[in-house]
Amino acid sequence: MFLVSYFLQLNVETRSWDVITLSQRAAEALPQNPWSAFWLILSGLVGLVLFLTILALVLIYVERKIAAHFQCRLGPMRVGWHGVLQTIADVCKLLFKEDIVPEHADKFLHLLGPILALLASILMLGIVPYSPMVQLFDLNVGVVFLVAVSGFGVLGMLIGGWSSNNKWSLLGAMRAGAQIVSYEISVILATLVVVAFSGSLKLSDIVLSQADGWWIWRGHIVAVVAFLLFLISSTAELNRVPFDLAEGESELTAGYHTEYSGIRFAFFFLAEFLNLFVVAAIAATFFLGGWMPFHIAGFENFNAVMDIIPSGVWFSVKSMLLIFLLMWFRWTFPRLRVDQLMRLEWKVLLPIGFLNVLAASILILFGYYFFPMA
Amino acid sequence: MSRADTSRDTETRELGGVRFSVSVARRDAVIQQPGMGIFRKIFRGLISLCKGMAVTIGYLIRPSTVVTQQYPENRGTLKMFERYRARLRLIYNDEGTHPCTACGICEMVCPNKTIKIITRQGPVTGKKELDRFVWRFDTCTFCNLCVQACPFIAIDMTGEYESSVYDRRLLIYNLNDYHGPHTKALQKIEDPEQRKKAIEPNDIYSGPVPLAGTPLAGIRALQGVGE
Repeated sequence: MFLVSYFLQLNVETRSWDVITLSQRAAEALPQNPWSAFWLILSGLVGLVLFLTILALVLIYVERKIAAHFQCRLGPMRVGWHGVLQTIADVCKLLFKEDIVPEHADKFLHLLGPILALLASILMLGIVPYSPMVQLFDLNVGVVFLVAVSGFGVLGMLIGGWSSNNKWSLLGAMRAGAQIVSYEISVILATLVVVAFSGSLKLSDIVLSQADGWWIWRGHIVAVVAFLLFLISSTAELNRVPFDLAEGESELTAGYHTEYSGIRFAFFFLAEFLNLFVVAAIAATFFLGGWMPFHIAGFENFNAVMDIIPSGVWFSVKSMLLIFLLMWFRWTFPRLRVDQLMRLEWKVLLPIGFLNVLAASILILFGYYFFPMA
Repeated sequence: MSRADTSRDTETRELGGVRFSVSVARRDAVIQQPGMGIFRKIFRGLISLCKGMAVTIGYLIRPSTVVTQQYPENRGTLKMFERYRARLRLIYNDEGTHPCTACGICEMVCPNKTIKIITRQGPVTGKKELDRFVWRFDTCTFCNLCVQACPFIAIDMTGEYESSVYDRRLLIYNLNDYHGPHTKALQKIEDPEQRKKAIEPNDIYSGPVPLAGTPLAGIRALQGVGE
């Protein structure tokens, strides 16, 4: 029963969702019992670390398997049943590897780079609403926080590339920086549409605003365009194929993490896969309703049936589908050239993004979307 | 759309006295199509991306497309292809005789001096015949030239790929099972006793071996060395 209520945070009488975050609970507990607040925060942090570790292990395994089957291969098959323990073996290998720092590298920055990159991903994981009850903290400027922190990850890459004192690293870092800064604009323009539709920057409010239906179909063409825009530009932000110029193997050996090995490389790698999850989770939250079940306003019985499926399951399924879509992109499309990349952003995506925001604001002004709010 | 067709012209070309009708896709015609607006370009791009994704999802959902061989597990069932080139062999007929006349063309044609044909005076026929067909696995690049050059189709590349050994000397084989004449010369000898005399059995490691021919299990030491 506890588990059901844990996932189901639906108040059946009032048909409203009880949204509460871990930081809120801690704040409530603080005046009465500081220790319980402390334990709450500690358990949240430990849970986050456990979650991100397991998530990265699973994602890396899934990516390798899916990649293999996209290419008519089998992928890892040896360690454990169908290679399920392969990533654990790889992590052990990376942990026990010698921690090599190049002789002429900037020692401090070389260490700081991967830490900053991982920190950004962890901060973004904290604000993702997994279910009404499972969210570490919720800011009233959550979208701004997300944009700011995702820019933080670039800093890690730039520092890593710069401090390695290697031309490939530096070139890869510069490419990554230019690319992410450019595509950030399109990401913001796409999220702006959802922010305008839901009228809030707070992530839990954005999810709650989709109780009548997910924005991707309530906002029809505009929302679909914004979703595609978000998907394309966040793929570029992730440095994944077809936008993986920052670590284009054929040109830059490994890009900004050429000079990294062992645990420091593992940090960059971890950050990459956590960012993959974060992007999928954010896209699910903004456009596919996050943990909100599939609702159509007016069809009360249908909505009640949909509510039977726990919201945590809704969120997981949506974000896993989006992750699969991103993996599908990665193992299908060829890589772009640098000039094509910049042309795509500045000449195609950016004008479309601006027009889309304009169209969205007109739609919202006149209420030309499904179930406009009173 | 008829506009899409204009990019694909047909023209006649002549090659070796024969006239062909060739369809030519003009690159610039595709790029500078009039009226090809940005939205149509985007739409076309999306369609072509979806086509690519349809191909890859086809591979993902059909495990039968996997080409990987799970090697040590399936070594019982793994069959190498006809064209696979691994260990060389002399082709023996049902009676256990080979058609090699020891002409030495394979030795001459070999780019790595991998083959050494040692001949002898036949004790029965009195003619030149194959004594040892020495083949060095360690220097062979499997170029197949010896097989192609052989006028008697006496040698062949087999699919026998499991050939790792712990000593380099074990990679030097005698391909012939017996010292003696080839099939046709054997058939000319009518007396079965004499025919038996013409053939002397031989094992694969009896030839000259490198590393100064020191004794090794399965390899006989060279005469005059290490004694």
